[in-house]
Amino acid sequence: MRLQFVLTEVLSGLRRNASMVVSVILVTFVSLTFVGAAALLQTQVTKLKGDWYDLVEVSVFLCPTGSTAPTCADGEATEDQVAAIEQVIDTELADVVATTYFESKAAAFEAFTEVYPDGYQGTQLTAEDMQASFRLKLVDAEQYQVVDDVLEGRAGVEVVEDQRAVFEPLFVALGRASMMAAGLAGVMLLAAALLITTTIRLSAVSRRRETGIMRLVGASNLFVQLPFMLEGAIAAVVGALLAVGGLWLAVQYLITDWLQESVDWVAYVDVSDVLAVAPLLLGIAVLLAVVSSVVTLNRYTRV
Amino acid sequence: MIRFENVSKVYARGARPALDEVAVDIARGEFVFLVGASGSGKSTFLRLVLREERPTGGRVYVAGRDLSRISSWKVPSLRRSIGVVFQDFRLLPGKTVYENVAFALQVIGKPRHVIRSTVPEVLEMVGLDGKEKRLPHELSGGEQQRVAIARAFVNRPQILLADEPTGNLDPTTSLGIMRLLDRINRTGTTVVMATHDDEIVNEMRKRVVELSTGSVVRDEIDAVYGHRESILPAVGQTPVLDAPGRGTPQVLPQALPRVHVTPEPADLEAERAAEEAAARAVAQGEPTLDARADVLAEVPADVPADEAPHRATGSADDVVRQVLREHEHVRAGREA
Repeated sequence: MRLQFVLTEVLSGLRRNASMVVSVILVTFVSLTFVGAAALLQTQVTKLKGDWYDLVEVSVFLCPTGSTAPTCADGEATEDQVAAIEQVIDTELADVVATTYFESKAAAFEAFTEVYPDGYQGTQLTAEDMQASFRLKLVDAEQYQVVDDVLEGRAGVEVVEDQRAVFEPLFVALGRASMMAAGLAGVMLLAAALLITTTIRLSAVSRRRETGIMRLVGASNLFVQLPFMLEGAIAAVVGALLAVGGLWLAVQYLITDWLQESVDWVAYVDVSDVLAVAPLLLGIAVLLAVVSSVVTLNRYTRV
Repeated sequence: MIRFENVSKVYARGARPALDEVAVDIARGEFVFLVGASGSGKSTFLRLVLREERPTGGRVYVAGRDLSRISSWKVPSLRRSIGVVFQDFRLLPGKTVYENVAFALQVIGKPRHVIRSTVPEVLEMVGLDGKEKRLPHELSGGEQQRVAIARAFVNRPQILLADEPTGNLDPTTSLGIMRLLDRINRTGTTVVMATHDDEIVNEMRKRVVELSTGSVVRDEIDAVYGHRESILPAVGQTPVLDAPGRGTPQVLPQALPRVHVTPEPADLEAERAAEEAAARAVAQGEPTLDARADVLAEVPADVPADEAPHRATGSADDVVRQVLREHEHVRAGREA
């Protein structure tokens, strides 16, 4: 009885306020699409980091001849210095470094000639122009700072370089895009909250007669307010479902079917990631509706 | 049933109190008229009983509950023991008669079979049997008020509050409504009615509580409306101002047409139906609803029937007959 009555009330409310309900649906749809896009960008960044950071190393370049770095004042790194550095890596950094590989000048030259067989930009280089280095593979690529703190400034070490720096611009770009999406999502969510508030208020005012009688004959607060809450929640949830659908289509057609085909060596987000984001979006939608309706209804249909 | 202990209500700080130290005790089953000028505090009184307002000072007890102590989530249960009727009926325009009455039960979560059995019963009681499917705008004012009363009474409340229930109705229709309220009162329901209708108050001879600028100035059993102060300059007899209660009615020259109000036949029909329902109830040995029906029909002996055109002189059938007779008079008067 109660349930059926509440549902009838909800339906009639939705019908009466059709245009407002549609606008609530659209605004939540757009705002939650932005929220979802931001979340997917973050997922993408995490995926890329996971994939690529497994490959990156920290290079500890040793002093070459003629370096101007203060630690290289004594000229090229001596064998003693190299041994001391290796000693430090094996002891102090034992927890951080997974594997250590010493690249001598000869090895470096070999690797260089492989990439540039005809010399670098027309200059013929020799093994003497190369720089010896330690290549450290870290247990966790994020722990670069520890390595840097220990080795930087040590005699014989010219510079410590993190290969992650290569990817940094991409991640910064992705990070900013996701921030922007989140920012827009914030604004849109605010708009959605205000719109839901207005819609519920309109609905409440247009049904003041009913709610007035309900209060007089002793209907409970929840019973009076539930239809309005459900109205807001239904509109918001429909918006969220549309957002999930939109993201699903975008990921399926733009990324899986298109980007994946043309640039296939990158791990992309896929439909399963969209499904992982879906509960978040639905949750936000329900929260949004409940919070705005509680705020409004306490003002307009109080007993 | 309702007890006001030195209740004051001030709406705006510094303003004149709407109620000032009001102390009234209304027993179970009483019928009380609340009279007084507009702004004297009648509506505030009713709103305090419903706990739509809270008193600024003093205590209000309704059905044994101290309203200043009950928490807001218990207010609905308080209101389920109170029925309310208004001057403007407050029906839902999109719902039928049946749905309007059923609404009051639906929203307090009564099961469907209860609604299905209770609503027709109460509609029969108010005399609207057979009009369940009508929409409010298809009904006359009197019938609409009957629907409103049915809605207020369908949950069998202990208290019925009526805020000028006859304010929008013509005198004969009002009389029908009053008989209905009287019948409800005789089932043991406490009835508190705010009104300006001196004629009704004078005829019913019930307890009268008179408020004036927020204070009780009179509280009498078996009372009348009281003398109405003449606020208009005496300009001689005019048809519109020739209302009962304004001093001794003067005999009009026959040729002058009087203002007559002919009630909707539907209202009379409803009243007759309600009376028949009451009679059936009596025949079935139910608690007597109509034992004192003739109280209403009392007409002061010194007023000739023709001079008291809107007073009933017996059963509803007589009312109809009388109204039709008056109608003839009017026509005759116009033609003369």
